[in-house]
Amino acid sequence: MADKPIGGEKRVFMTGNEVVAYGALAAGADIMYGYPITPQNEIMHYWTRMVPKYGKRFLQTEDELSAGFTTIGGVMAGKKAFTATAGPGNVLMQEPMSMAEAMRLPTVTVVQQRGGPSTATVIYSQQEVTLTTMGGNGEGLRIVYSTATHQELFDYTIKAFNTAWKYRFPTFILGDGYQAKMRESLTLYDPADRHIEMIAPEAFVGKPGMPGVDRPPAQYRNTYSMEEELAEVLAKNIGEYEAIADEISEYEEIGTEGADLVIVAHGVVSRAAKLAVRDLAEEGIRVGYFRPITLRPLPVAKIRELAGQAKTFLVVESAYGQLARLIMEAAFGNTVKIVPLYKPGVGVTAEEVITRVKELVGRST
Amino acid sequence: MTIEPVMPKCWRVDTKPHKFCPGCGHGLVLKALGEAIDELGIQDRVVFGCDIGCSLLAWDFFNLDTVQTHHGRTLPVITGLKRANPDLIGVAYMGDGGGYSIGAQHLVSSATRNEKITAILVNNTQYGMTGGQMAPTTMPGQKTETSPYGRDPETTGTPTQGPEMVSTITAEGAYVARGSVFNMRQLKTFIQKALENQMAGRGYSFVEALSLCPTNWRTNAEETWNMVNKVMPEYFKVGELKVPADMGGR
Amino acid sequence: MNFFSSIAPGKGPRTISQRIVEAYIGEYAGGKSEVALNRALDLVGEGRQVTLVDLDIVEPCYTLRPIKRLLEERGVSVLAWETKDTVGLGEAGTVLKADARWALRREGDVILDIGYGVEGSKTLSLLEGAQTEKNLRVLAVINVSRPMTATLEDIVDHVRGMMPVHGLINNTHLGDETTSEVVQAGAGLVEEAARVLGLPVVATTAVGPVARSIGPQDAWGHPVRTLTRFMPQAFW
Repeated sequence: MADKPIGGEKRVFMTGNEVVAYGALAAGADIMYGYPITPQNEIMHYWTRMVPKYGKRFLQTEDELSAGFTTIGGVMAGKKAFTATAGPGNVLMQEPMSMAEAMRLPTVTVVQQRGGPSTATVIYSQQEVTLTTMGGNGEGLRIVYSTATHQELFDYTIKAFNTAWKYRFPTFILGDGYQAKMRESLTLYDPADRHIEMIAPEAFVGKPGMPGVDRPPAQYRNTYSMEEELAEVLAKNIGEYEAIADEISEYEEIGTEGADLVIVAHGVVSRAAKLAVRDLAEEGIRVGYFRPITLRPLPVAKIRELAGQAKTFLVVESAYGQLARLIMEAAFGNTVKIVPLYKPGVGVTAEEVITRVKELVGRST
Repeated sequence: MTIEPVMPKCWRVDTKPHKFCPGCGHGLVLKALGEAIDELGIQDRVVFGCDIGCSLLAWDFFNLDTVQTHHGRTLPVITGLKRANPDLIGVAYMGDGGGYSIGAQHLVSSATRNEKITAILVNNTQYGMTGGQMAPTTMPGQKTETSPYGRDPETTGTPTQGPEMVSTITAEGAYVARGSVFNMRQLKTFIQKALENQMAGRGYSFVEALSLCPTNWRTNAEETWNMVNKVMPEYFKVGELKVPADMGGR
Repeated sequence: MNFFSSIAPGKGPRTISQRIVEAYIGEYAGGKSEVALNRALDLVGEGRQVTLVDLDIVEPCYTLRPIKRLLEERGVSVLAWETKDTVGLGEAGTVLKADARWALRREGDVILDIGYGVEGSKTLSLLEGAQTEKNLRVLAVINVSRPMTATLEDIVDHVRGMMPVHGLINNTHLGDETTSEVVQAGAGLVEEAARVLGLPVVATTAVGPVARSIGPQDAWGHPVRTLTRFMPQAFW
């Protein structure tokens, strides 16, 4: 059995799903629970092949409800557990993730967005933003990373385990069907070689010692009798979430300084937006680019700053306003105009962004 | 001279040739179902529900009102339909994943309530549509995309015995059987009795059909028949498990 | 042993006993489809009659289906679904097309693109006549830049798991970052694996500019085949 899955840096050519499996491996994940659903199946296919090679574990559950709850069981046992899903499976995943939110459990979930609602297509969309950021019956105390490249899928899968175990909020990597299946080069590495310290998991239950004698029994619940009890728990959790928001929120911006128009996009669409900004600049049209990397917590301060400077945000997404709503809420009070380029369930090209920008700035194509 | 294949009357001709793989068992099970519906004369009363997975390809197969549901949810949808309009003949059609995995709770619940519906479950031992992952009925040692080294019963259990479970938890009045596409006449008889049971309002009716998937089994014709006729019956016994007294059962 | 030296170009439709029948197998995303379709195009360019068969039955993404028309316009007969004829693709669409089963009954050359899967070349069982086709050669396409086939041991195990295999193809690349060094390094490792397995390396494949910088043969004397990229258009 191989010892270290990834020894030294290596430039490789892979599909996104495989990258997630290798990322989990590099992060020292112990066990994956999952249920088949396109387009994330290859994460399971690759993980099951790694199981005997690296002494990992895997369980194919009966459905996504179970995949989420078994992942909860896994983290409570003190193991780095993760799951992956998409579309209708993500809808089911909200029940266990609500419990993870309530009980501050460090689950890691990879979502490869597909067309919605319902079964729709297996291909791609950005229509699970609302679901993944705010899908449970709570206040969305979760951390959501929206990746755009395979390198990021690797980097952020590793980061997700650390984020989850350090801050104890259910953590998500929000990819999509394009990222899942596209082939791209990236560099695989061992986190240790890059001085990334992997946070050790800790058991919630099953620690040594006799409960009630050697140690207090570890007793967890998610039910309260009175409003006041709940209010206290929520205040604590919300407080801790807000306290770390600035520390963990991430974004990317290009040329926003003095720009009247800023293109706002996340995930794989941000690649088209970036290309558009570059091509437009070559034609002498200067626009800015802003990409939130964490959709939860959103980089609110930065958004407010940009909303105070720019006249227009062109929000580009493969959904019908799911990103826009997040941006609008953060920007509330500023007079920036929000202009949509919505293509729910369909990919967006740089050309389409360029055309729209030219319309907005009054230039002919 | 072209010879038109004989199709059940309730089949939709304009959606043929159908979309299932060559050698698929679904075409055979749906033929048995079609013949039973023809013989009972209930084409105008049947509502056909299909699941996600290969059964989804049956959504425009018949001249029957049809609804394609979410994965594993055909039973509750058909249950809801039947409860709201008992004159309908509700047929819930699903695969081994939809029925024994994600839909298992619905199978247990609808069976325990003795819902007056007919469930037909196609067992081909893996998740065909998504590329061949392990299913509850995958047999020990069988290789699938999520059991690449062969299913290990120690860690993943033994193949689900669906009709056995359903016959145990249903009350008197239920009809439970397991047929096989290897014996079409028998399969058609089982399905017909299952539908008759619903029409008489006696209780739940459930038929599992051992079926073929040469595509994901990667088997040629001979190996495919061997699989369904020799290998699968080692784990899945063909026959009637529960027959209401009024139908001649003990 | 070089299979292709026995072919005289431009001789028109072949008789069954002289035709080329090749099955391209290998790891997920290893380049099977791209290599297979380029092979088909090369053969058409030599004046041969070629049928290209989509036998990807695990996942319908990045298969020949979306570029069927494109290839047919270039003179290749393609056995694949038209996307518009499928229903619920991926959820209910990884379906074998009936014609594909009977591909070997077609006249002329047959190039088979066998998708990935736990059973390796067992997919050939689905092909009528695969057992008796004398000309059938199974070729494993290997990209050493992919972690599962990056070491000698892994490549050997991988190919052994897919037997019977008649030859290897070095398709090592890093997408847009591919250099001749990358390809040659891959060729070296594939050559080593081939020696362990007792199989020939049939070719090294690379896109135009890289192929030209390598020349007609790689550092181990394997013929270099130039690839034109079509698969990026074949996403869904």
